[in-house]
Amino acid sequence: MIRHDVVVVGAGCAGMRAAIEAKRAGVDVAVVSKLHPTRSHSGAAEGGINAALGNATEDSPESHTFDTVKGSDYLGDQDAIAVMCHEAPGDIYELEHMGAIFTRGTDGRLAQRPFGAAGAPRTVYSADITGHVLIHVLYEQLLKHDVTVYEEFFATQLVVDGGRCAGVLAWDIVRGGLHAIEAKHTILATGGMGRMYYGTTNAYACTADGMSLAWRAGVPLKDMEFMQFHPTTLKSNGVLITEGCRGEGGYLRNADGERFMASPAPNAMELASRDVVSRAEWVEIAEGRGVDGCVLLDLTHLGAKKIKSRLPGSRELAIDYAGVDPIDEPIPVRPGAHYQMGGVDVDIWGETIVPGLFAAGEVACVSVHGANRLGGNSLMETITFGRRAGQAAAERAREEVDVHARIDRAAVRDEERRLEGILTSTEGERPWEIRDELARTMYDKAGVFRTESALLECREKVAELRERARRLRIDDKGTRFNTDLMSALELHSLLEGADCLVTGALARQESRGAHSRLDYTERDDERWMKHTLTWYDRGEVRLDYKPVTVTKYQPLVRSY
Amino acid sequence: MATIDNEHLTTLKGAYDVQLMEVSLRVQRFGGEEDSRRRYETYTVEVPTTATLLDCLDAVKDKHDGSLAYRKSCRMAVCGSCGMRLDGGAVLACKVPMRPYVDAGHVVTVAPMGNLPVVKDLVVDMQPFWHKVRAVKPWLDTSDEAPPQTEWRVAPEQQEAISKESLCIMCGCCVSECNSMEADPDFLGPAALAKAYRFVGDVRDLDTRDRLRDLNGAHGIWDCTRCYFCNQRCPKGVDPRDAIAKLGAETFREGLHDGIQTLMTDEGARHAKVFIESTYKGGYLRETELVPKTIGPLGALKEIPFALQLARAGKVPNPLMPHKAKDNAEVKRLWKLLEQQTPRHQERALRPEDVTTAKGV
Repeated sequence: MIRHDVVVVGAGCAGMRAAIEAKRAGVDVAVVSKLHPTRSHSGAAEGGINAALGNATEDSPESHTFDTVKGSDYLGDQDAIAVMCHEAPGDIYELEHMGAIFTRGTDGRLAQRPFGAAGAPRTVYSADITGHVLIHVLYEQLLKHDVTVYEEFFATQLVVDGGRCAGVLAWDIVRGGLHAIEAKHTILATGGMGRMYYGTTNAYACTADGMSLAWRAGVPLKDMEFMQFHPTTLKSNGVLITEGCRGEGGYLRNADGERFMASPAPNAMELASRDVVSRAEWVEIAEGRGVDGCVLLDLTHLGAKKIKSRLPGSRELAIDYAGVDPIDEPIPVRPGAHYQMGGVDVDIWGETIVPGLFAAGEVACVSVHGANRLGGNSLMETITFGRRAGQAAAERAREEVDVHARIDRAAVRDEERRLEGILTSTEGERPWEIRDELARTMYDKAGVFRTESALLECREKVAELRERARRLRIDDKGTRFNTDLMSALELHSLLEGADCLVTGALARQESRGAHSRLDYTERDDERWMKHTLTWYDRGEVRLDYKPVTVTKYQPLVRSY
Repeated sequence: MATIDNEHLTTLKGAYDVQLMEVSLRVQRFGGEEDSRRRYETYTVEVPTTATLLDCLDAVKDKHDGSLAYRKSCRMAVCGSCGMRLDGGAVLACKVPMRPYVDAGHVVTVAPMGNLPVVKDLVVDMQPFWHKVRAVKPWLDTSDEAPPQTEWRVAPEQQEAISKESLCIMCGCCVSECNSMEADPDFLGPAALAKAYRFVGDVRDLDTRDRLRDLNGAHGIWDCTRCYFCNQRCPKGVDPRDAIAKLGAETFREGLHDGIQTLMTDEGARHAKVFIESTYKGGYLRETELVPKTIGPLGALKEIPFALQLARAGKVPNPLMPHKAKDNAEVKRLWKLLEQQTPRHQERALRPEDVTTAKGV
């Protein structure tokens, strides 16, 4: 039996930041992650991280707060947004002192670039590999603080005993075998769920694991219908080309060479909010003004020097995966599922309704992004709310000297039997067949534009796939590095996450942020300015709602 | 249900239109301890023409054999999971387009990375790799613990010094191909040393001297044979060999002021030191001093038969009349110039407290 004060599941930016904070607070911390920490998908973040440092032009946390509230289409909780925007500068300075290699201005201070829907150049960055720089600096700190890491351990279940989370069951991928990892406090930081969509920027690892763990443990998932589509992803494999390309002055053009953003966003143009740009692109492509199912991201006028110094990673990705050098020709791009605004319902300290369970980062929904996230705000969220969750969990663990989390041996045996069932099954479908069908269904029926009829078909399909996934057959019957078994477990998470998403989307009869209904085209604050909650109810999804926290900013019409 | 006239917008037409090609690949299989035979299987899969090696492996796993094991995650060459050997050289599977191989009619061979134990199929045990990374104390030492009020000031050109090393994704491709590590498995190796330079070259770091002393120890920077395979195989342009050279240069630069001896203890380091000392004395390398000063007088005695053999071939210069530069004063002047260069630890970044007034916080 393994036992720690605080166990963090997931080792991206939020998870590592949480673990470092908890360790600094003096409690015994461990990280459980299905990937080695530096393999986490935070490392793929490109453009940057937002904080109102005011290094480029005058800026303030209030301005950052307002932009984020507006960007969220007034679904973000304003208290949570204010927390992030006010604590962001301190968190950035701390990252810099940890060793983060951010791009500098000539004065030696941190450079800041403009990003979509932001009132000032507010995005701190490291060329176009900001996530890479952060994931490595956080891993360095994890080593410095000597945090225990259960590397390549797949969390299969949260154990809730007497209404309290007692830790997690995790499968050792390399050696095989299930382990009970007891914790006074468990922090989920497992990231997103983009893999349920055919076109997605997300890594193979982004499979709704944490959402599903929490959901089955009795925590509602919040605002799951709000899946952000990133406007500039490659057709071949969904790889993201950073918003920084547009921040540096890139244009979006249709087949006729027109900058089509002039009509939906005459002021912000290409730097309008992501939902606005994605819809505009989708319309261009669907109405026949695209090029091979894409629109064109044109950087040619920026010149070779700027592209090489500010956007080297994007250039490399375009060459490798689109066969195009952006110095010479535009990059074909289209919207792809990118970021789950919704997630595990938590408060501003990352705490869920189940005692002993926290969540931070993309897996969580505080909510700072509401119906639409601004570029550069997700990395910031991972750091600020990762830190807060780590701090809160450690404080609790220190106070609660009498709490002894215990995982019952019977719970372990039950889970072992479930895994054994998958390992030995000789009939049923292979996981990838259902996974591919789900991905196409979601991309076609619950994508950038939605309608009741499409969502009904989608929900029916998801229900059918969930039923079919009860009988899975895998080829790999061994216990050593069995990724076939992992794919079966991930499929269940994806299906449950998809069910919550489509159920919430079908019910929400309005258009807000990333949720755009062709049959209800207006935002309807009267009926729908509220958070969707999806609860686990004997395997099915039960809908519920809760109010949005409004402090200073009353909803306004959102235009760019 | 509300009526709508643009239902067609929900689904993107042509979203899945791709051209396909057939790819064949020979993949090394290895079942681990239970089944220790290594064998090759050849698979043929149908994939989009834009497919990478990783896409092909995915197709094999889905359509042919779900038990094939390999690591993957980001599929965009940043997470560093999918290092493996393609036709004998390390690559990131997600960064290799297969179209050129198909066009050339070549069937590639895929195997796990070298210099690391194989766990199963294409999966290697990365623990030895991470142990070495940990050994270089891979975190910034700024000795400040209080929450910072602002950032350090670092000029862009100061930061430029570590721009390449900061690109490292720790995939292990360099280590896989490292010739020195094949001979000495304890050699710190290109990835860990590039990581070490990332800190030695960082003007914010305060631990340069101790870092350099450690890196000049056994299995350190002087064990590199300069084969440049690491530079050649790095998928991210880190050029680890260049980082190792820079660590050597930093060692001398640091050592010139306080005596190189304190830093250079390893045999390889002593060898390098002879070059420095003898060029200082006479502008040339004194070959006859090289062996005794590197491996010590006792070790040198053992090399006498070899030296005689060289002498017979006319390859040993007269030890009594070493090469000497025509103008040794110029050599000395050059050395003076070098010594006037500031060691890195004296041109640190501006500490935040020094700039707080400037920034008005």
